[in-house]
Amino acid sequence: MTSLIQANGLSKSYGSHQALKSVDFSVKRGRIVGLVGPNGAGKTTILKAILGLTSYDGELKVLGLDPARQRHQIMQKVSFIADVAVLPRWLKVSDAIEFVANVHSNFREDRARHFLSKTNIPMKAKVKELSKGMVAQLHLALVMSIEAELLVLDEPTLGLDILFRKEFYNQLLAEFFDEGRSILVTTHQIEEIENLLTDLIFIRDGKIVLDATMEDVAEKYIEVMVSKDDAEKAEALDPVMHRDVFGRRVYLFEGVSREQLEPLGELHSPSVADLFVAKMKEGK
Amino acid sequence: MTAIKWNDQQPIFRQLKEKVVELIIDKEVSEGEAVPSVRQVAADYQINPLTVSKAYQELVDESILEKRRGLGMFVTESAREKLLESEKSHFLDIEWPKILQRIERLGLSIQSLVNDKQTQVEEK
Repeated sequence: MTSLIQANGLSKSYGSHQALKSVDFSVKRGRIVGLVGPNGAGKTTILKAILGLTSYDGELKVLGLDPARQRHQIMQKVSFIADVAVLPRWLKVSDAIEFVANVHSNFREDRARHFLSKTNIPMKAKVKELSKGMVAQLHLALVMSIEAELLVLDEPTLGLDILFRKEFYNQLLAEFFDEGRSILVTTHQIEEIENLLTDLIFIRDGKIVLDATMEDVAEKYIEVMVSKDDAEKAEALDPVMHRDVFGRRVYLFEGVSREQLEPLGELHSPSVADLFVAKMKEGK
Repeated sequence: MTAIKWNDQQPIFRQLKEKVVELIIDKEVSEGEAVPSVRQVAADYQINPLTVSKAYQELVDESILEKRRGLGMFVTESAREKLLESEKSHFLDIEWPKILQRIERLGLSIQSLVNDKQTQVEEK
């Protein structure tokens, strides 16, 4: 089985509001997939469905299992950090480790202790005595010590300063990720992780508007800064978007060959953030 | 390795590859020495491990690096010589003609530039 997640026609409605409109996607093993979309686009609904936390229509398989009915089995191999990284405030760090060790069969206590020994978090401290960054570190230490095949991260670094954010992803790459596992991550700080991703999924109004490997993205989307004289030629190639910089125009092209664009100017790869803006405005 | 500022004109794996080549040519990493593991480089630069593997693999294909089973990736004995050779021909075939063009366009002469350089060296 190469797909850890397989969704076909996944849909979800809250009353008359359709949060997911029949989406198809898959997450293969050994990938780091960024799920990106504005607030209310359906990201959290997708994550909830994967984790068996909400009902849905359509077909969804996680590790070959059905999240709505086989949640317990799935959670042996799937771990999760939510944007609201909540740990009980009265809990001691050592108790947190003991608790997870008791409830989770794939948890490796020695690993958790090892991770924490590299931080400034004292074993005896209570959660309420830790800084926000430390709570995130503790959470990550617990989650990385679970021998999971799929790690789901929902805005994991929200509210953390840049040092903690970098440290967070550094730890994930150095200590957790390998070709046998996959990570599905949502974040608004997309520019910080774009080089980390192998795949990119954009979601807008409950629909997937982009689903590609980063290699394909780099091949398909090209930005060119064009002088005024060449603007007409650029327009003729049907750019998806343009923005003005210093009186010159930067055009974004989708699926136009490098050979065709090279005469117009220097070619650049758009940042994921720029691409995101373009895809969210498209057709509006 | 120090921080790298990636540009958006070339894929990152290629820029990383060039960085490794630079380190070998500048003798920052010697022949027979190990290069950092894929995992280490990925974590340090916050880039995907596949990107690092791709850069390393191309260097293996060019016999600049070699995989030693269970030990990691090492710089081959002839790496620096090979790189110097290819960098030289790249300079002569591609960079030098461009520099020459620029010298001519600016109305400078190669001879006077060479003379200036020599006086500078002698004055030191």
